[in-house]
Amino acid sequence: MTDLEDTQPKPENKKDEPRVGVYVCHCGGNISDVVDVEKVVAEAAQLPGVAVSRTNMFMCSDPGQKMIQEDIQKGLVDNFVVAACTRSLHETTFASLLARNGVNPYLLEQANIREQCSWPHHGQEAATAKAFTLVRAAVAKARRLVPLNPVRVEATNCALVIGGGVAGLRAAGDLSKLGIKVVLVEREKELGGFVRRLDALYPDEEPATALLSRLVEAVRTDSGIVVHTNSEVTGIEGYIGNFTAQVRKNSDSKAGEIRIEAGTIIVATGFRSYQPAKKELGYQKLSRVVTLADFNELLVASAGDSAVLEFEGKPVRSVGFVHCVGSRQIEGVHKPGENGNINRYCSRVCCTATLHTACRLRRRFPDMEIHDFYQDIRTYGRGHEDYYEQASKSDVIFHRYRAESPPRVAKAPAADEYNLLITVEDSLTAGEEIEVGVDILVLAVGMMPADNATIIDNLKLASSSDGFLQEVHPKLRPVEMAVNGVLLAGACQAPKDITESCASASAAAIKAAAILRKGYVELDPYVVKVDLARCEGTGLCVEECPLDGALHMVGEGNERHVEVNPAICNGCGCCVAVCPTRALQVSGWTLDQYEAMVDAIVADPVEVSS
Amino acid sequence: MSETNLKAPPKILILATSSCGYTGADATGQAHLSYPPNTYIIDVPSPCVFPENFYYRCLERGIDGIIVMSCGVECPFEGAYERLAAKLDRVSLGLKKRGIKQGRLKLCSVCTVCTKAFLKEVNEMNDLLIKEQEESS
Repeated sequence: MTDLEDTQPKPENKKDEPRVGVYVCHCGGNISDVVDVEKVVAEAAQLPGVAVSRTNMFMCSDPGQKMIQEDIQKGLVDNFVVAACTRSLHETTFASLLARNGVNPYLLEQANIREQCSWPHHGQEAATAKAFTLVRAAVAKARRLVPLNPVRVEATNCALVIGGGVAGLRAAGDLSKLGIKVVLVEREKELGGFVRRLDALYPDEEPATALLSRLVEAVRTDSGIVVHTNSEVTGIEGYIGNFTAQVRKNSDSKAGEIRIEAGTIIVATGFRSYQPAKKELGYQKLSRVVTLADFNELLVASAGDSAVLEFEGKPVRSVGFVHCVGSRQIEGVHKPGENGNINRYCSRVCCTATLHTACRLRRRFPDMEIHDFYQDIRTYGRGHEDYYEQASKSDVIFHRYRAESPPRVAKAPAADEYNLLITVEDSLTAGEEIEVGVDILVLAVGMMPADNATIIDNLKLASSSDGFLQEVHPKLRPVEMAVNGVLLAGACQAPKDITESCASASAAAIKAAAILRKGYVELDPYVVKVDLARCEGTGLCVEECPLDGALHMVGEGNERHVEVNPAICNGCGCCVAVCPTRALQVSGWTLDQYEAMVDAIVADPVEVSS
Repeated sequence: MSETNLKAPPKILILATSSCGYTGADATGQAHLSYPPNTYIIDVPSPCVFPENFYYRCLERGIDGIIVMSCGVECPFEGAYERLAAKLDRVSLGLKKRGIKQGRLKLCSVCTVCTKAFLKEVNEMNDLLIKEQEESS
């Protein structure tokens, strides 16, 4: 281990300027096998503002942390640079170390010399030079770090859940168990959403009605949950801890507007099914072409001991299923929808749902002919592949079509045995054109984004290119929107099945409870701060800000200046870029810091700029 | 603006968004995929924070090429990407007026697992700058 505090001459520090400690990690050999760590430490010790420069085999280990702790306790260092792995791995480790030792945890900067240096670069000289440059840039920023404090916002102990399908019900029930009051708003007269249209559910064959009964019963009998059915959210304003929603009750007896105060919002508005274009695969032209949901309702209606399934008064002897209707669409092949877009994405759920239905059909009607027209089978979930195997082994006949050449559907000639004639180029038989007779053709239609225009417009929520609501990060923050306090549950985020919807709903409930249980919210301090001495009151920042209410002008004449609502500001910095006097900065990410980093990067390798 | 140094390799500044580009660069390193070391990545929550003159300043001070690796239209900051794209269009015109090749500033989308896209952008910028160096020598 190297300790350069005593062996290297200390550079002169200006009075009151923070003393920076540089801590360079070997990471076993992950870094030091490529980067000459000792050289980096020696060079870092010469940088202006650096008081100590040290290495450790594993800086995140107890001995590594102890080394930093001792420097704190001896009063040698004010601000800290850890040169190690990427910040997402151990930023919390080192920030917590500082906090435990009475140091503001925001006085820390990391130089990523593993993922962005020793791993992708192989020559020692070049990698070492780069590592030092990254450390020099980190030191330049660290010298300009100031203590920050989280933004504290009082929070209303209530969560608003928008949508009363399985995801909304699951989230509401979980939240109430965690001691959070819940208001659940559902647009339809009944709770349950799309699942009300389903029959037996995979993977355990539980009837949809049984699942919904349990979820609805739990919500309806919970005194901590207020349910408004037949009601629509018509407007939302506010910020984390303090949202206000306007809700219109459409019921004849209780029509009118109500106002709901909530600390967080869980969006559980679900999806809408793809509506095939008129005449697409014979839909709406031929009454025997139905969607999978329609067909499931037919199965429910025909439940019983009958050995024959009837439709339009006639026995059904042959059923065909078509996958990927309204999903995985291709430019030039499929017509854009009302929004001008095609649905390029896979709806994920339909393959399993279709094969599950085919297997149930086979069990109830052993003699029925069942055809499955698919492009690819994507039974991705645990146990889902079993349905494919089961269908394959029970005489479900598969035909594989290409997206560019979907099956053609026509009414069969009167003399034919079946009602519909399906013509398909079957790639399983070398592209041979095959004619198949069926009595019902079932379209496995995809999932599309629900109409969330009011919520999106009011809260400025991001949506993905396919129109579903967009979380901050698919892995690190999978149920959170960038707007603090707004969480996602279920298929409003992307096509999901019931299992996945409930999992995300429970995750959102826990996140909401974590926000609300303390009675106040502590937000990251990375929001815009105003230097009143520099603000000239131009108002350009307010015009540029994408968020309603984050910035507003106050005062008149020479006193006119901008004020920030830190609970709404998300730190995007759009305003910073248009301020002519640099009166606005994002705390922790200021332009001065960035410019100092750039200057450190361009500095001559042997030059040490101050 | 600085002349690109004939001897030293060009310095490429990568402004990478915390949610996408920066994590994509990490993913490239985690896969031990190699790219030129004359690349310096700065983590940025949203590149919209930079005024137009920030880019000119970088080039004046000695940065040879800038790649802004954003989240694209799936930016978690509502409205920020559109503002960024419009701003970089203006900067690009500004570069042209200053007689600087517009290719020295590039806006692209790199997601958290986009290792190929990351390598492509870095290598293309590096090749372009080296070619410029050779042409001016």
